[in-house]
Amino acid sequence: MEKRLTFRVREYGLQSAAMVCGKFARGLSCLFLAQAALLSAADFARDIQPIFEARCHSCHSAKLQVRGFRLDGRAAALRGGDSGVPAVLPGDSAASPLFRYVAGLDPKIVMPPAGGRLTPQEVELVRAWIDAGAVWPERSGDSSAPDPILQRGVGHWSFQPIRKPAIPLVKNTGWVRNSIDAFVLARLEARGWSPAQPAAPGALTRRMYLDLTGMPPTLAEQDAFLKDGSPTAFDRLAETLLARPTYGERWGRHWLDLVRYAETNGYERDAIKPSVWRYRDYVIAAFNGDKPFDRFILEQLAGDEIPDSNAETLTATGYYRLGPWDAEPADPVEDRFDQLEDIVSTTSQAFLGLTLGCARCHNHKFEPLLARDYYSMVAVFNGLERPREGRDEFDLPAGTRAELHGLAKHEARIAPLSKEIEELRADFQTAHLKGDRSKLPPAARAAFLAPPAKRTDTDRQLIREHQKALNVELAGALPEETRAKIANLEAQIAVLRKATPDLPRAYMMHEPSPKPPATHLLLRGKAAARGPEVPPATPTILRKPDTATLEAPSAGGTSGRRLALARWLASPSNPLTARVIVNRVWQFHFGEGLVRTPNDFGVMGERPTHPELLDHLASWFVDSGWSVKKLHRLILSSNAYRMSRQSNAAYAAADPENRLLWRAPYRRLEVEAILDSMLAVSGQLNSKMSGPFMYPFVPKAALAGSSDPDKIWRPFDESDASRRTVYAHVKRSMIVPILEVLDFCDTTRSSARRLNTSVATQALTLFNGDFVNRQAAHFARRIASEAGSDPEAQIAHAWRLALSRQPTAAERAGMLSFLKFGKLEEMCRVIFNLNEFVYPD
Amino acid sequence: MEPISRFKPNHTQCGRTRREFLWQVGGGFAGLALIDLLSRDGFFASGAQAASLKRPHFPAKAKHVVFLFMNGAPSQVDTFDPKPALTKFNGTPYKGDLPVGSNSRPVGYLMQSPFEFKRHGQSGLEISSLFPHTAKFADDICVIRSMHTDTAAHASGCLQMNTGSILIGKPALGSWLSYGLGSENDSLPSFVVMTDPRGGPIGSASNWMAGYMPASSQGTLFRSTGAPLLDLATPEGLTDREQRKSLDLLERLNREHLASRAGESELAARIQSYELAYRMQTTASEVVGIDRETQQTRDMYGLDNKLTADFGRKCLITRRLLEKGVRFVQLYSGGGHMEDTWDGHTDCISNHKLHAGETDQPIAALIADLKRTGLWDETLLVWGGEFGRTPTSEGVGKPGRDHNWYGFSMWLAGAGVKGGQAVGATDDMGFKAVEEPCHVSDFHATILHLMGLDHTRLTYFYSGFNQRLTGVRGNVVQKVLA
Repeated sequence: MEKRLTFRVREYGLQSAAMVCGKFARGLSCLFLAQAALLSAADFARDIQPIFEARCHSCHSAKLQVRGFRLDGRAAALRGGDSGVPAVLPGDSAASPLFRYVAGLDPKIVMPPAGGRLTPQEVELVRAWIDAGAVWPERSGDSSAPDPILQRGVGHWSFQPIRKPAIPLVKNTGWVRNSIDAFVLARLEARGWSPAQPAAPGALTRRMYLDLTGMPPTLAEQDAFLKDGSPTAFDRLAETLLARPTYGERWGRHWLDLVRYAETNGYERDAIKPSVWRYRDYVIAAFNGDKPFDRFILEQLAGDEIPDSNAETLTATGYYRLGPWDAEPADPVEDRFDQLEDIVSTTSQAFLGLTLGCARCHNHKFEPLLARDYYSMVAVFNGLERPREGRDEFDLPAGTRAELHGLAKHEARIAPLSKEIEELRADFQTAHLKGDRSKLPPAARAAFLAPPAKRTDTDRQLIREHQKALNVELAGALPEETRAKIANLEAQIAVLRKATPDLPRAYMMHEPSPKPPATHLLLRGKAAARGPEVPPATPTILRKPDTATLEAPSAGGTSGRRLALARWLASPSNPLTARVIVNRVWQFHFGEGLVRTPNDFGVMGERPTHPELLDHLASWFVDSGWSVKKLHRLILSSNAYRMSRQSNAAYAAADPENRLLWRAPYRRLEVEAILDSMLAVSGQLNSKMSGPFMYPFVPKAALAGSSDPDKIWRPFDESDASRRTVYAHVKRSMIVPILEVLDFCDTTRSSARRLNTSVATQALTLFNGDFVNRQAAHFARRIASEAGSDPEAQIAHAWRLALSRQPTAAERAGMLSFLKFGKLEEMCRVIFNLNEFVYPD
Repeated sequence: MEPISRFKPNHTQCGRTRREFLWQVGGGFAGLALIDLLSRDGFFASGAQAASLKRPHFPAKAKHVVFLFMNGAPSQVDTFDPKPALTKFNGTPYKGDLPVGSNSRPVGYLMQSPFEFKRHGQSGLEISSLFPHTAKFADDICVIRSMHTDTAAHASGCLQMNTGSILIGKPALGSWLSYGLGSENDSLPSFVVMTDPRGGPIGSASNWMAGYMPASSQGTLFRSTGAPLLDLATPEGLTDREQRKSLDLLERLNREHLASRAGESELAARIQSYELAYRMQTTASEVVGIDRETQQTRDMYGLDNKLTADFGRKCLITRRLLEKGVRFVQLYSGGGHMEDTWDGHTDCISNHKLHAGETDQPIAALIADLKRTGLWDETLLVWGGEFGRTPTSEGVGKPGRDHNWYGFSMWLAGAGVKGGQAVGATDDMGFKAVEEPCHVSDFHATILHLMGLDHTRLTYFYSGFNQRLTGVRGNVVQKVLA
């Protein structure tokens, strides 16, 4: 019986996804209210408790909580079930789901689902009880009954303060170059294991170049390094590489994955987001300049609210507009909440490693996150607006407050002048059309003269047809006097423009008022089903008394909520932020993070393989001023990083996923590093940094799938297209095929790691495709010109350029016999396809 | 000693587990074969392990789906949903509660269909005169007249019909099938898309992207002329022999590299992927090489008639793809914008004559051909667009019809489908689904069901929870099932 009940309730729950029209329900409940006046207030123990016990508790009490709801205590009843909406709103029966369900006001959900409805008298008692304030005499402990959702997070490791664990003692002290090694080795020694041998110097050099810059070392760099030979040579190499601008191009891209960076909106028009590339340049510069990570957070989330805002920090807030955006939404109100979800999900995943976005329609299914928490985060961003309504996507000038003020002053003086010009032209047009000099057909003249609001379809059609002709007429007939007036006004404008500060433009949201609209919890995530209002606040599970609400004084005429959020995120006492970013940096060096679910540090995420090491790094990172480069140096100077990738059969059998870090695991380069390496090796790399994106070669056939095959892509310009891949145009409806096939990230949401698939289409693209064959040809020409015509020299040269090593004797022999019949560029194509090329040792 | 099990992953797909690796190398594209090869190489303990990933939830009625996507949204009252009342009230204003049309385009009066509906077959299913060829198979067709969706815009409408969501970035139906069932062939993609020569649908590849799933389950764009796949052809200037020699060299070098790195699964998988790619070069080219088909077949598909040649060619290639075991083929009729698609805003009559004319004969030929080859018993045919059109004209006295998302028709035919019937109904004017409304999620649930998959159990863990094609909705339309 119980089982059947559960099933039925579940069915109702699913159907109720399409929620009831609130208006209808309220109207009906008014009828009940009229009747209600006849009855006196209900007493809980006498009237209500027996109903709940007889009719509700079989599914909603301590032993069973169908849809997460229990009705055996006031706190639980007020909390509601999975939906996150309170079941009882004291004093407001009409809005209380409990009353609506038992009264049959909700066409989708009727309670109880079996055993007959409550009698009208019982329904009336429930109403009266709620309206009288839902008085529920407490039994001992009831009001403090813990919320079962939040209970999930009690004691969860990532919500605890970051500790400073003692550095463990190890036996093999000779292996320990720094604290990292001690933590790694302690775990290995506890099993009686020892770490892999150090990687060969040549292999380690190549690994470090690819890790930090995404390209292999040049011949000169290989020579210089091997000559050095000193034990600290690798530390100096790390220093050198971290100082290169190519470092930011490599590591900035990791961040772009996390913030769903793309350069178009997606959907029907898939329009380009103007100036959005400045955000990409901002990120690259931030990594290159080692911008402290706490400041990096502040600038992206609240670059307009911080006291020292400027062009750079405003550009950083482009973060908010990177997501997909539908220019033609089916339902603009729902769409607004979809956009807010994009921001909440991305922010909670990228900075906190929490999947808060899942709590939009109900309390989180697994995590200690409430629907309330979700909407409290929505409240933080609810004041943000796109700069203008309508389909077009606008950018805005970016500068300091003083610069923007100066610009506004000039614009205010220009506006009346522009208006005057417009009026002069309009007046003349009217006079011209009314006079006898126009040769347009009378119907067209009438159409132009009709006030825009009163024009018919036919009028608009006529205007389209005759606009050009009219323009020609007007240009010819404009009287000298008017012409001179216009010229004079235009000259004044030009002078003002010249004096106007020339500010860069940035693509960002803006918050037009210090008072954002109220944010309500939405029932089942539906904009039409408003629940109670919620304040801007941090998630309950992470809340401390001093972060109860997120409000901060803002210098920007905004609410300051985002600034408060950013400060909370960037605070050393936030248990997640530092752990999450430290884990990411580790992941991009080692292939796997210490937490292998980098965007999910919740209870469903994996636990860290080395919890003490993670905490050590996180606290060290914060103490070191949130410097990412310092963290790199620490990691790169460890012996853990410098291990070889050599496997060990016994260890591999016991720990196939290398969770104890007994070696450096193999991992394929990301597509950017693969393509950039080919460009570097072929000698074609165009190292121009920053600025608008470039258009890589895309075969015509790939464009055929677009609705505008002729318009969406620019003609191929090889020099421009040979810039680093981070500058390639990211168009949501047409990801460049070679990027897409090689596991480019999902551009619609925060992406913490690239997938690594091995499929036949990749082989086709890398063996037959235009890019690789083009680079192979360049590579072959380069070899011929640098190594001369001797095949042995050519082979050695190619090997060193591509793989940073000499060929083995077997390889040399194989190549020599291949080159007897095969062409040099065919050999080069083979080299670019070698496993070793994309899986560095 | 510390037990290693403490480090056991909890099998979320956020982390990359062994199972995920299997999926990534074994996904839709030439997947099973790769796993077979690896198994034969002793790479896995047993080949059965891989195969077990791809078992349906219950015995499937259909193995393949052909989705005939009528891009731009065909009008239900001119195709499969006859409305005598519309004729009666022709030229009068629509008197319903709901707003008609989209995007504040001008709303005219009710407009009767100029196309005559006749009963066809034993079942007497009513089909308009736009489809004289398809009508011959009326007894095989199950029309759902009560479709409805959540949007009246093309981009989000196409996304919803293809991915279940009006938001961009979700995996397509074909990706879900590839993910749920795997591939039946070892040298072709399992999810193939063929677009219209006039252009792709609005939203382009987001309609067949794999979203959060591995790239291997995304739809592969197949061209019906020339080389069918990107980068399929050996580069210009190279002979097949030279290509083979280069591949042999690559394999030899990669195997030497692997020899000192025994047990590195990713390296081994990558070596195999080149061998599969080479095989695919041959197979995929063969599939589109339809020169050897008989004149009778050419005539049946209308290949020598300019009007039907393109869609006919795609239908014929579809049959050949199904013969090779391709799981999901999607054909687009109409591409680019407005009148180049079924989007009959200005003149729905001539628009539909054109697009029905281009597709009717080829679709009928495909049905006949599938019946001839026996593939009919394991293939599910799906016909329809992203939504429907208004029963009113767009603007007074104009022959166009605007978008309508409250009610429209789609049809299913083939394996597991009870043909010769119409399920559900719109109101008297053909505007809104009123009887047995079928939401797109119900439609998807039904397709998955026919393929042996329970839409509530076909899940993919991503971004914190188990994602589903049907979200939190979806009920199988039982009446459709044979």
